[in-house]
Amino acid sequence: MYEVRPSNRQTGSGINADEPTARRSSREGRVRDLSRSQYVASNYQVNETPQFQVLSDDQCETILNGALEVLERTGAEVQSSAALEIFREAGCWVEGARVRFPSHLVEKAIRSAPSRITISDRSGKRAMFLEGNNVYYGPGSSNIYTLDPFTGERRQPTKSDTVRAAIAVDALPSISFAMDNGTVTDVTATLSDVHAFQALVENTTKPIIQSGLGVDQFQDVVDMAAAVRGGMEALQQNPFIIFYSESSPPLKHSAEGLDKAIFAAKARIPVIYAPCIFAGGVAPATMAGCLVVAVADFLVGLVAGQQVSEGAPFIMGGLMSTMEMSSSILSYGAPELSLLSAGLTCVARHMGLPMFSTAGGTDSKVIDTQMAIEAAFSILIAGLSGANIVHGCGNMEYGATGSLELMTMDDEVIGMVKKILKGVTVDDEHLAVDVMDAVGPGGHFMGEVHTMNHFREFWAPKLISRLRYDPWVAEGAKSMAQRVKEKTQDILSNHQPERLADGVLGEIQAVVDRAEAREAGKSGT
Amino acid sequence: MSYNFDELAESVIAGDSELSAALTQQALDAGANPVAAITDGLSKGMGVVGARFKSGEMFVPEVLMSARAMTAGMDLAKPLILAADMPSSGKVILGTVKGDLHDIGKNLVSMMLESAGFTVINLGIDIEPETFVKAVSESDADVVGLSAMLTTTMLAMKATIDSLAAAGLRNKIKVIVGGAPVSQDFADEIGADGFAPDAGGAIDLCKALVA
Repeated sequence: MYEVRPSNRQTGSGINADEPTARRSSREGRVRDLSRSQYVASNYQVNETPQFQVLSDDQCETILNGALEVLERTGAEVQSSAALEIFREAGCWVEGARVRFPSHLVEKAIRSAPSRITISDRSGKRAMFLEGNNVYYGPGSSNIYTLDPFTGERRQPTKSDTVRAAIAVDALPSISFAMDNGTVTDVTATLSDVHAFQALVENTTKPIIQSGLGVDQFQDVVDMAAAVRGGMEALQQNPFIIFYSESSPPLKHSAEGLDKAIFAAKARIPVIYAPCIFAGGVAPATMAGCLVVAVADFLVGLVAGQQVSEGAPFIMGGLMSTMEMSSSILSYGAPELSLLSAGLTCVARHMGLPMFSTAGGTDSKVIDTQMAIEAAFSILIAGLSGANIVHGCGNMEYGATGSLELMTMDDEVIGMVKKILKGVTVDDEHLAVDVMDAVGPGGHFMGEVHTMNHFREFWAPKLISRLRYDPWVAEGAKSMAQRVKEKTQDILSNHQPERLADGVLGEIQAVVDRAEAREAGKSGT
Repeated sequence: MSYNFDELAESVIAGDSELSAALTQQALDAGANPVAAITDGLSKGMGVVGARFKSGEMFVPEVLMSARAMTAGMDLAKPLILAADMPSSGKVILGTVKGDLHDIGKNLVSMMLESAGFTVINLGIDIEPETFVKAVSESDADVVGLSAMLTTTMLAMKATIDSLAAAGLRNKIKVIVGGAPVSQDFADEIGADGFAPDAGGAIDLCKALVA
């Protein structure tokens, strides 16, 4: 077999093997020329990452064609009168609330949506590049309960809990965006999401994915975000918010759900329009069937959005798993959650659209081994799938409860997974044939400059313990659960997120006050 | 005259609609008592299914197939029975409250109740408090079940209970609540008579309330 090694290939760390590094020892330098690659490698194949593909391109096309056929043959039930009008004008077949979509129209919408979306942080710095196989993890939202990290109590979330979620998101290095981690219940019910956004935007600089009851609430959020960025155009140019709106599968779209997607498209704010799929419940029990429903549901929102605002940024995806056929829950720990999400990620990439996926959650009710197994597995698979946004880190009890302790543990797991995603660098510097020659048989590498230069590439744990036994006992013989709890509490007690300017805080409060007045007026009539 | 309905019960347990219909017809043709066909055959089989579901031996799709098999037999037996003689565990009104379009969980409860021998009046989704009041006043139902999937629409459960009270019907009927965001605490808070976390629990709850 003829083997060549690349000579002019730039490595990921920016080190060129042909240029001597400043810290190279004279001994290393002396022998180096003898073993350097002598060949120019053409079309040398490199695996930069172990990321995988669950579905082939042909299979993705079959799934997409299935969705196009469903939309043309069965169609969707659309309860939004605005959307019905948009679909009728666009050339769909509309019979009452049933809309059937000609495939060419859907294909046009897929083509006109951007294949990449850049999300900025609160300051406008470009932070999340939703393109290719880039993966960004974050928490979940709309949980009914919260697991208090100080008292251990499972209770209804308050606005102060979403403040805590924002502080934890802000502090955890591998958590890239914020969500509410629980529906705020101690405020006007219809403004729960508006208050959640205020709590998030005031306490983290990271991007925010936000849901809302209706279009009015989306407007409130846009106004708050525009206040932060100093105007609507600045927000559109460097959006730090992503809207989230759900369809009502199978093939059904509430007025609010679709109107919110249309609103986001008109406002040119990125939006996730996604179904929540219970395999065997609101979709076929077969995974390919679930993917078809997920794609078809998304496409209805996409067509509406592209019709009103061509090129509006849409993100595909959804929460997909099996319906547990005894308890009828949507399982967060099922291997099918990972497989379905990874499969849909392939279809999204095939369609040239960014993908919103799910991982890092559990069906467990307490901080335990089941939680860790389910969360770690799904985080790894989501990373390997290359889904652009992965939400759900912190979702316990099949999503019913949000836990910042789980999110803190997930942060550690994500660190491990991101290391795995970097793969193995293969070049002269990393092959280290020179170093082996210098050290010789039976020697050791601990004192080599090469080791100095590279050992920090090892992933270093922060919560996982690799102490020897005695020092571990000396530190209190703590379990992972104890360390996670302590770190979570430490973050919440001590982390200081960057404060917004007083003027901006005032503008945000004014939007909240306006929303309160509006809702008070509604309930009065 | 006695007739052996064991095979009919088994056909319901197996979820075989064609077989249960054929066996029911065969029994009726042989002159079997239609009420006995229901109680000793169809409902008896469904009782086994309910117990097996509860113990985790059977799963939701199997229960629904069995319910369908039971209904296939019932449809044949029912026309031969006077309404007053029709065996029923009780009558339940079900609906998803105003502002909430979620249908599936409520329908699951409906099918499970029917398979447990209850008569169900399913009002549908997005039901105004006044519509619940009208349904309660016009029927002799024992229980009214309110469903909500959203934290925002849970509030309509309280409004519905208040409307029943305002119409003077609150003592006439038991009110039960359910849905993803609903808890026992919430049920107590709004003055409901009962809460169940899932469809299986709803059956036990209704049985306890009508007993």
